[in-house]
Amino acid sequence: MAATNLSMGAAIVGAAESNEIGYPEERGDKVTSLQHHIQAIKNVSEYTGIPISDIEGVFSTGWSVELAEHLGIRPHYIDTTSVGGCSFEIHVHHALAAIASGIIDVAVVSHGEAGWSYRGAGGGGGGRGEMSPGAEMTMAYGTFGAPSQYAHAMVRHMHQYGSTVEDFAHISVVTREWAQKNPRALMFADASQAEVKLGERTPNPFGGPITVQDVLDARIIAWPLTLFHCCLVTDHGGAVIVARPEIARSLRTSPVWIAGAGESMAHQNMLEMDDFTATSAARSSAIAYEMAGLGPQDMDMAMIYDSFTVTAAITAEMLGLAPRGQGYRLWKDGDAAPGGRLPINTNGGGLSFNHSGMYGMQLLVEAYRQLSGTAEDGINGIEGKQTDSHTCVVNGTGGTLSTTGTLVLVSDD
Amino acid sequence: MAYNKPIPRKGQHNQPFWDGAKEGKLMLPRCTLCGKVHWYPRLICPSCHSTDLEWIEGSGEGRLHTFAVQHRAFGGWAEEVPYVTAYIDLNEGDRMMTVLRGVDPNKPEDIKIGAKVKVEFDQADDDTHIPFWRVVEE
Repeated sequence: MAATNLSMGAAIVGAAESNEIGYPEERGDKVTSLQHHIQAIKNVSEYTGIPISDIEGVFSTGWSVELAEHLGIRPHYIDTTSVGGCSFEIHVHHALAAIASGIIDVAVVSHGEAGWSYRGAGGGGGGRGEMSPGAEMTMAYGTFGAPSQYAHAMVRHMHQYGSTVEDFAHISVVTREWAQKNPRALMFADASQAEVKLGERTPNPFGGPITVQDVLDARIIAWPLTLFHCCLVTDHGGAVIVARPEIARSLRTSPVWIAGAGESMAHQNMLEMDDFTATSAARSSAIAYEMAGLGPQDMDMAMIYDSFTVTAAITAEMLGLAPRGQGYRLWKDGDAAPGGRLPINTNGGGLSFNHSGMYGMQLLVEAYRQLSGTAEDGINGIEGKQTDSHTCVVNGTGGTLSTTGTLVLVSDD
Repeated sequence: MAYNKPIPRKGQHNQPFWDGAKEGKLMLPRCTLCGKVHWYPRLICPSCHSTDLEWIEGSGEGRLHTFAVQHRAFGGWAEEVPYVTAYIDLNEGDRMMTVLRGVDPNKPEDIKIGAKVKVEFDQADDDTHIPFWRVVEE
């Protein structure tokens, strides 16, 4: 059955972060995940002028009922999809469907995760008592956390396509260049740059510019991944409001239209990953591009979940932005860099901006800022519009290269 | 020394595997309808969705599909870093995970994807003989 084309059936009308991102603990605060949610929802409500009481649908990774209760609202659309860092792109897809079908007019997608302050407390999702039959057959073999698994994909990519660790290192270097333009980025500046206005952040000994050699020489986590191939672990929250077109046009904020949306999955356990150099983003983006009537060649910029350099490279290939096996070239050749043909991860990415564990919300916040042209409006103190983009493909990846959500976002001219 | 690393949990769906492992056999689930071997053991054939499954004794041989070298670990595994984790393409089809033996974790450039591997079992407790794979000469 052919689906109704939902393209442009709703818009993201505002985006905001929580107030105390990064390592608030080091400034003497211990901010909970719930606080990040509530701060972000309050901020996006104030930014858009949409009262919290107007929210009819709540989308989050398992938090929706608690959030609604805490806010004192009674939504009539509740979504708790929790499939890792791509959950938020999938939430926007679901919100688009809920709004375009007339069930609700206004939805909030919210994220809060004190990934650093409450590290070791365990992430969202899962929670059933019994163990997955796949996990029973991998638990004996000494892998710990995401980097230990993603490294297998990078090795296979290097084998299959002749890519090198140096090739991937360029992704870290270019992404750090973007972070140096974002005062909110954890790696904005290093501790020696006393003249740099740091605001409330702590100067970071690992921050500031890095070279390919720095990436290669960094502490090894899981070969071939060194520390600088890996995303950060910080505290972060964010929220976007999605609304019906009539409402979107009536607001003081600029709408960013959802031209296309798609989601897909390949596996849960990496044991079931057929092709270690491919993800379901090929399918989720094909769905999103088709809905939008646009293709990769039409994109002005991209926001790509960069949990690891290899994630960004493979995803760029899946999104059709680079040939198979050559995703890293976008960074190595400068296309993705400031001033390049196709800016990617303009906030500094999960590698150098912030990454709480499930980073997909920050892809949305940054895509909204860039496309709405409101970066200089100073949402939460961010200054300086980085690109002049009207189209952006956003792709979240969850789990161990398991699940993907793709959005094609466009702004009014 | 007692085995100090995580020991897999067992259930009805994979008990024949652990029974075979005790005798040094690599038992694999196969669908009687479509004939395909699948790994991990499950309740239904992931290819044709038949629930009529049987167990066969595998060859215990395969090829290295991909690997990584773990430098950061916890519990019993922390004492063994660096070590190589890997995915193995079974001769019978589908793929297993393992800690790979017969390779130098300090020379990952020398580890050959596609290398021939054979299974061996380590006794972890009375009920559990854990399969590990080793790179062998052609």
